Amino acid sequence: MESSNQLIAGIGLAGTARKSRWPARLDFIQSGTGLVLALFMWGHMFFVSTILISNDAMWTITKFFEGYFFFGKSYPIMVSFVVATVITLLVVHAFLAVRKFPINYRQFTTFHGHMKMMRHEDTTLWFWQALTGFALFFVAAPHVYIMLTHPELIGPFESGDRVWTGHYWPLYILLLLAVELHGGIGLYRLAVKWDWFAGPDPAATRKRLKTLKWALTVFFLALGFATLAAYVKIGIAHAPDYGKPYVPAALQAAPQGVNK
Amino acid sequence: MKIIYTDVLVIGGGLAGLRVAIGAKRRGHDVVILSLVPPKRSHSAAAQGGMQASLANVIKGQGDTEDIHFEDTVRGSDWGADQKVVRMFVNTAPKAVRELAAWGLPWSRVRRGDRTVIINGQKVTITERDEAHGLVAQRDFGGTKKWRTCYVSDGTGHAMLQTVSDQAIGAQIPVHERTEAIALIHDAGRCYGAIVRNLITGELVAYVAKATCVASGGAGRIYRVTTNAVICEGIGSALALETGIARLGNMEAIQFHPTGIFPAGILVTEGCRGDGGLLKDVDGHRFMPDYEPEKKELASRDVVSRRMEEHIAKGKGAKSRFGDHIWLDITLLGEQHIRHNLREVFEICHYFMGVDPTKDWIPVRPAQHYTMGGVRTNHTGESPDLKGLFAAGEAACWDMHGFNRLGGNSVAETVVAGMIVGEFIADYCDRLDNEVDIPTSLVHDFLKREQGKLDTLVDGRGTEDASAIKAEMQDLMTAKVGIFRRGEDLQAAVDELQRLLVRSRNIGLREKARGANPELVTAYRVQKMLKVALCVAYGALVRTESRGAHFRQDFPRRNDAEWLKRTLASWKGEETLPSLAWEALDVGTMELPPGWRGYGAKDYVDHPDTPGRAADVDAVKAKMADASRFDVQEALMPYDELLPEPLRGRNERIDEPMDKTCESGK
Amino acid sequence: MSDANSKIIPIAKAGNGGDGGSAAHRQLKISVLRYNPQEPSQPPRMQTYPLEEADGMTLFIALNEIREKQDPSLQFDFVCRAGICGSCAMVINGRPTLACRTLTKSLGAEFTLAPLPFFELIGDLSVNTGKWMRGMSERLGGWLHMKEPNPDLRRAEQKMDPDLADKIYELDRCVECGCCVAACGTARMRKDFVGAVGLNRVARFRLDPRDARTDDDYYEVIGDDDGVFGCMSLLACHDVCPKDLPLATQIAFVRRKMVSLGWS
Ligand SMILES: Cc1cc2nc3c(=O)[nH]c(=O)nc-3n(C[C@H](O)[C@H](O)[C@H](O)COP(=O)(O)OP(=O)(O)OC[C@H]3O[C@@H](n4cnc5c(N)ncnc54)[C@H](O)[C@@H]3O)c2cc1C
Ligand code: HEM
Ligand code: SF4
Ligand code: SF4
Ligand code: FES
Repeated sequence: MESSNQLIAGIGLAGTARKSRWPARLDFIQSGTGLVLALFMWGHMFFVSTILISNDAMWTITKFFEGYFFFGKSYPIMVSFVVATVITLLVVHAFLAVRKFPINYRQFTTFHGHMKMMRHEDTTLWFWQALTGFALFFVAAPHVYIMLTHPELIGPFESGDRVWTGHYWPLYILLLLAVELHGGIGLYRLAVKWDWFAGPDPAATRKRLKTLKWALTVFFLALGFATLAAYVKIGIAHAPDYGKPYVPAALQAAPQGVNK
Repeated sequence: MKIIYTDVLVIGGGLAGLRVAIGAKRRGHDVVILSLVPPKRSHSAAAQGGMQASLANVIKGQGDTEDIHFEDTVRGSDWGADQKVVRMFVNTAPKAVRELAAWGLPWSRVRRGDRTVIINGQKVTITERDEAHGLVAQRDFGGTKKWRTCYVSDGTGHAMLQTVSDQAIGAQIPVHERTEAIALIHDAGRCYGAIVRNLITGELVAYVAKATCVASGGAGRIYRVTTNAVICEGIGSALALETGIARLGNMEAIQFHPTGIFPAGILVTEGCRGDGGLLKDVDGHRFMPDYEPEKKELASRDVVSRRMEEHIAKGKGAKSRFGDHIWLDITLLGEQHIRHNLREVFEICHYFMGVDPTKDWIPVRPAQHYTMGGVRTNHTGESPDLKGLFAAGEAACWDMHGFNRLGGNSVAETVVAGMIVGEFIADYCDRLDNEVDIPTSLVHDFLKREQGKLDTLVDGRGTEDASAIKAEMQDLMTAKVGIFRRGEDLQAAVDELQRLLVRSRNIGLREKARGANPELVTAYRVQKMLKVALCVAYGALVRTESRGAHFRQDFPRRNDAEWLKRTLASWKGEETLPSLAWEALDVGTMELPPGWRGYGAKDYVDHPDTPGRAADVDAVKAKMADASRFDVQEALMPYDELLPEPLRGRNERIDEPMDKTCESGK
Repeated sequence: MSDANSKIIPIAKAGNGGDGGSAAHRQLKISVLRYNPQEPSQPPRMQTYPLEEADGMTLFIALNEIREKQDPSLQFDFVCRAGICGSCAMVINGRPTLACRTLTKSLGAEFTLAPLPFFELIGDLSVNTGKWMRGMSERLGGWLHMKEPNPDLRRAEQKMDPDLADKIYELDRCVECGCCVAACGTARMRKDFVGAVGLNRVARFRLDPRDARTDDDYYEVIGDDDGVFGCMSLLACHDVCPKDLPLATQIAFVRRKMVSLGWS
């Protein structure tokens, strides 16, 4: 059975009898990974933005993910594990989505010309989605790689140092823009692609979805830039002490009483 | 020289052509369809009202039968129709509806229970039967005793064309789109196909076929103001005419629709008036009650059209840059009703005039609407003059419409004729002695002749402007061969059209391309259209009576004694007038002898045979008082054997169940 | 109800105006993208025609006037001139739509017309949508596949729920104008994409209980990246469809059905 299938495929007749079911699965997986990533990004953004509350809050969250509060000890490897999952999702997602890219210059110019001619918002949005997706190949890679290999270097000072002294801030600006635009458009597209909230009046729903999408994008960009600014500020202040990890007040024996 | 051989060549991809093709193909013959445009763009798509078939599913159609449909149609035709063909038609129409249903047409269906409808401007509640729920629904349409018009929401023709065209694709029938037949190939009284021009490349190709079927639709564009599409130019009829052998029947019988949007001619449905819309003049005065105190706006199409023109002639039309018109006021129907029940009217006003019919009045004027005449055929659809030439649909004078066709009867005709003629064409092709037996040299001659004509147009030194001639013809027809016809106008039109025909032989082109060249197309078409226009005008001039849509002010009475006959026009060579002949209708065999139509003027001259036949018919009916309606009909005018075998048999209805009706009928 | 009404003459009557045409009309400048593939020596170019606007002028009237009075070689397609047949789709100021029902007064005094992209160009504004549509239909099996191929026509038709009939008709309203395909970025990039019109066809037959096919059969024709999975949900199709077909919801629906087969 197996070998005859192979032969049929080898001769090039594989698709003849019954069409492969893979395109269906891939379509689903593409959306699925996109969805999970986008939701993860929102979560992620909330976590890192805890820096806006206080250094301790950010530290707490970090330690929480390292299992500190369960095991009484940090296991940065747990973060690596999450990062590895995200990377897998990213790779799978990018691998699938890249099928939709213009595959050559002619396709690119056709689409670009088309977009210019039509001035149709959703079409233009797709262009930006593809463009930001493409950018993510490059700007997400260093970030996730660092997270994978140095999960212990996450914390108010550690991150601040990386952002400022480590010269990551330009990368993060790009990453932030790319992810938020891409994810926001992506979620909107998911909603219309699968007709999630159609309701009795799909046109009105779509309008609302579009508004919501822009509101979310603006919100997360604002949050993101504020967060980044916070890290930059910390990074500049902490530059002289570059490399020194953050230790929350509670764990610093001496000043404990002073605070209270 | 390129020759394409096929068994059947169908000229026209509208409803009629497609259905003919499917019929022949099913019987195993190769078919090629030619069409100026992709078939789904044919003008059949424009029919909104619906298709008549006596299914009697809705409560207001209860009791409807072929018999009543027959009578409505014959009366509508003002006794000009061939009654046997009408019988064939009414018996096949329900089968056509059912076939289309089986092919996927989303006919609107009956919903059980109460609903509110507007009848003569009054709100009425009617209750549909439980057993009818889910069957094909019928609506009201002008000129019918029962609700008989099956419909698909507001797009019957579109949906029908979609369905039939799809089935033709499924049957793998090739349609050569953007091609135009410009001459028929014929020899010794037999037709062998056509010379065809590719409208993209300009190339001429000969299509040689055993049987050729003209299904090219109407000729509305010989008029300036028409509801017809721009491709309805009567070219198919002209091709038959130009053979010099085949003849056109009753070309003077032209129907006008009262409410064409002015000046574009786009149709707004009769429903506007049916639901209570009013016609108003320049002073905002509702004038129809002055002329027709009883039926007012709801009088029949020809009567309303005539009154509107009469009123305009009195100087009471509203003035505009494009001429005078009447106002149609439907504002009183209310926004809710207009936006929902008259959705298409709302859209047309909105898109084409930027007018909101819930607030503004709509400018309308009667417009040419339907060509009753066409290539004369016998009941099989074949020309009695030119063997191997068939015709179906609006292009044919199969003659079920006579001098006036009923709304909803023409899309019905297209598919019914398609079913019937398709079978007969298959029979024709089955016969061995109908193999194609002409030498290619003959085909070559035809090709060369046609190429020569085109070359003359392109290279010749002509000076006349094709589109100017066309515009003059159209204006002339609308002004002088319109709703009101008078001898002197008609004579003037005939004279002027002849002059235009002569001028058209001297057309010169500004644009010399041989491929796609719109000016060249206008040039060779206008030469043909003028001949068709002359058949209309001359036929109307000679017919000194009024019958159906043909209304002579100087001869307002129907005159059966002299004119119960069909006009047949043929064209000889370089003549500038058709030769007319007449084919008498045989009163002695009529199931429904001539009488009063039941509306319009009650004033006509009887045929000498009418009283005798009427007495005979009454006698048979009296004698067979207890017999079934089928037996009475059979006794009066047998027609069953005229139908192709597979299409015979009675039709099931809720009140005439299958076991009782159909089986015993066989 | 009518008597009071019949005395009122609306002041703002139809666009055709009862004013005898005395009002000053705009001078239009219509730029047309011209190219005839049969004469490749003449490269594609924009040609501008001046035209005096008239009341109630549609592009059907405008273009015919240009052809009759200014340029007999100009190619374009109109058939019904009533927004019914789908012949006259073209790109008006960058958007595909039906020309015959576009009033010049809805446009600026200067506007551009171009042929639909994607389809084979016949010349100037005329494109061969019909050929593509036929190919699409053959590829998808775009006709009802009868469960019972030879019904007894003497018998009453099969019953159908009235609402279902209406629903099917809603999808049957497509006039194959090609606007949706010309507007589709996916189709522009990938020539073999079936387009919204094709997916809508499938949705239409899926809905029809008279059709013998199952989802497995439909998967065979649209279950790949040239079919429903190729659609990137740009929804331009939905936004330009002159018949307002519910393309977005239909494509999503078909997609869900087809995806569900991926796991069965
Ligand atoms: C606005 C309007 C509304 C109507 N409403 C109704 C209604 O509600 N009910 C009703 O019963 N009737 C109605 N009618 C009438 C009815 O629609 C037509 O009579 C009928 O559809 C004609 O069908 P057909 O197949 O004969 O021709 P068409 O559908 O006109 O098709 C003609 C075909 O011939 C082709 N052709 C023509 N010349 C050539 C040539 N030289 N070479 C190659 N191909 C050629 C064309 O391309 C086209 O495919 C209406 C008509 C109009 C104008
Ligand atoms: C290397 C990184 C990435 C690339 C190359 C990429 C590329 C793409 C492309 C081209 C699309 C459009 C696919 C289509 O239209 O069918 C897409 C869709 C999407 N992407 Fe990404 N993307 C990347 C990372 C991300 C990330 C980090 C997120 C999370 C924020 C994300 C979320 C989404 C979502 C939700 C969709 C919509 C899914 C769908 O349409 O099925 N992507 N991606
Ligand atoms: S779906 Fe709409 S846009 Fe597409 S071909 Fe049909 S009518 Fe035109
Ligand atoms: S949704 Fe977008 S990609 Fe899909 S068919 Fe419509 S325009 Fe094309
Ligand atoms: S010409 Fe038919 S839709 Fe425009």
